[in-house]
Amino acid sequence: VRRHLAGWAAFVVVVALLPLALSSDPYLMLLANVMLMFMTLALSWDVVARTGQLSLAHGAFFGLGAYAVAIAHRTWALPPVVGIGVAAVAVGIVALALGVVTLRLRGIYFAIATLAFAEVLRTVALQFPDLTGGTVGISMPPLFAGDRLASYYVIGTIFLLALALSLAVRWSPLHYAVSAIRANESVAQVVGVDVVRVKVALFVASAVLAALAGAFYMPFITHTDPGDAFDIGRSVAALVFPIFGGLYTSAGPVIGTILMRSLEEYLRVTPPWKEGYQVVYGLVIVVAVLFMPRGLLGLGERFGGRWPWRFSR
Amino acid sequence: VEALPQALLFGILRSGLYALTALGLAISLGVIGVVNFAHGEFVMLGAFIGFWLYVLLSGVAGVGPAVSPLVILIGLPLSALALYIVAVGIFRVTLRPVLRQPELNQMLLTFGLSILLVNATSIVLSPQAKDANLAWRFDILDLGFAGVTYARLASFGVSAVLVGATYLLLARSRLGKQMRAVAQNRLGAQVVGIPIDRVYEMAFGLSAALAAAAGLMLVFQTQVSPFLGLGTILKSFSIVVLAGLGNLAGVIWASLLLGIAEQLVSQYVPNGAALRDGLFFVLIFFVLIVRPSGLRR
Repeated sequence: VRRHLAGWAAFVVVVALLPLALSSDPYLMLLANVMLMFMTLALSWDVVARTGQLSLAHGAFFGLGAYAVAIAHRTWALPPVVGIGVAAVAVGIVALALGVVTLRLRGIYFAIATLAFAEVLRTVALQFPDLTGGTVGISMPPLFAGDRLASYYVIGTIFLLALALSLAVRWSPLHYAVSAIRANESVAQVVGVDVVRVKVALFVASAVLAALAGAFYMPFITHTDPGDAFDIGRSVAALVFPIFGGLYTSAGPVIGTILMRSLEEYLRVTPPWKEGYQVVYGLVIVVAVLFMPRGLLGLGERFGGRWPWRFSR
Repeated sequence: VEALPQALLFGILRSGLYALTALGLAISLGVIGVVNFAHGEFVMLGAFIGFWLYVLLSGVAGVGPAVSPLVILIGLPLSALALYIVAVGIFRVTLRPVLRQPELNQMLLTFGLSILLVNATSIVLSPQAKDANLAWRFDILDLGFAGVTYARLASFGVSAVLVGATYLLLARSRLGKQMRAVAQNRLGAQVVGIPIDRVYEMAFGLSAALAAAAGLMLVFQTQVSPFLGLGTILKSFSIVVLAGLGNLAGVIWASLLLGIAEQLVSQYVPNGAALRDGLFFVLIFFVLIVRPSGLRR
């Protein structure tokens, strides 16, 4: 445990000092911000997956967080930092309602309901132009007047929260409850795990983190519309990154995000992929489920068991 | 005052394709026990087969006004067969290995397939929506109290026939009985000597063939785009949830309910045409709160 946590402490120091190396290059600085944002999303999705649940709504919580900040700013002129808090609370309540209704049922209901929820939000956002700006979307002034260094530390803090949640679930007694639920819910129930409560609590915490990432995104990008904020692609990214890196770990989502997101940056501007770059996401999911269920970390463990850094356990 | 019978008629006609699409989803869910997130993509592929057939017939072959019925006559067997083969292939290569794995892995796999098919289609063909301006989409048959396009009538007719045939297949044929047996009790079916792997395979193929037929009929009503699967599958989900998972008989009345409700909402509620598209979610959420096992079980 100690060596493991020491590894993470070193990683956090690297993340904190990274801007020293990057701050001269605006593109890399932008990319670093975006990376941390997607790591937050990936880590938070993975926490729900640990209970055996497939959430297809993380992109929607992200979008909801983005809209909440913008609306709070426009309606009450709240500064972004306060708005981010408002967004977190609002999304927490929504996720609680969704979780309480669906998480007492079989896993497929949850997956279906989250997908439907994500899609319906987009429709709703289009239907209430007074509140959301409709198809035109919604804007707000940039965070810290567009200072990428300051925003880096904002999203860095949010990322740390996500990392803390992910590590806490792994290294607290909750880990046993979560693993039991994933293996067999009935058995977990019998041995005394409050299955529904654990699932709902982790789902809400995870949704709030996704919302925080979205609440950061809004003043970072300064404009969004329903098609962008509720893009299903973000829900897909949130699950592809952990799957590629390694499910049910903290290092997996981080590594997966760095590698896959870099690949995406390249494919996006390279014909014939362009917008179809997500085909790689689909392929990665299928191949990973069939041949590498524990992602890169699983491969690493199988073929390089003697590496000094063993993040995965 | 005359609007109500018309609304009901349109609602019923609308529900035909819903039933056809949802029945396939319910079969794969009921028999194999896997949620197929790629079901909407089977619909989408069927629609593209219909579109290209239309292009071929009207452009190269130049059949003129006969193109609408010909698209149906040639397209139905063609798209059903094509998707049957594709689905059986997909089943053997990807789905069969994960049948014994946790539910999360199965769902991830079919969701991954869905994304793969959508984006592969959008790269190979084009992300742009295509429009087959089939004459039946605009030709209207006057029924006295309402005018109905041939497209709607044909979609409903084809759906009714195929859904009816599928129920007959399930009720009467040997294969149908085997499918129902597997759906009720996997182990029991295996014990009495039913080759369940083969039954799975054929059930999955059948469900894709039904989806393809539904997709083909969509060509008459809307634009064809690589992304049409998502909206389609969400409505199918709401129907399957409404009927109760694995309850095949419930699919018909659940489709009628969704179709008629959508029509009523778009006709009588202000700003309804927009709200209509969110109705499926209201249904899912409502059912999950009230009777998660389906409304009539």
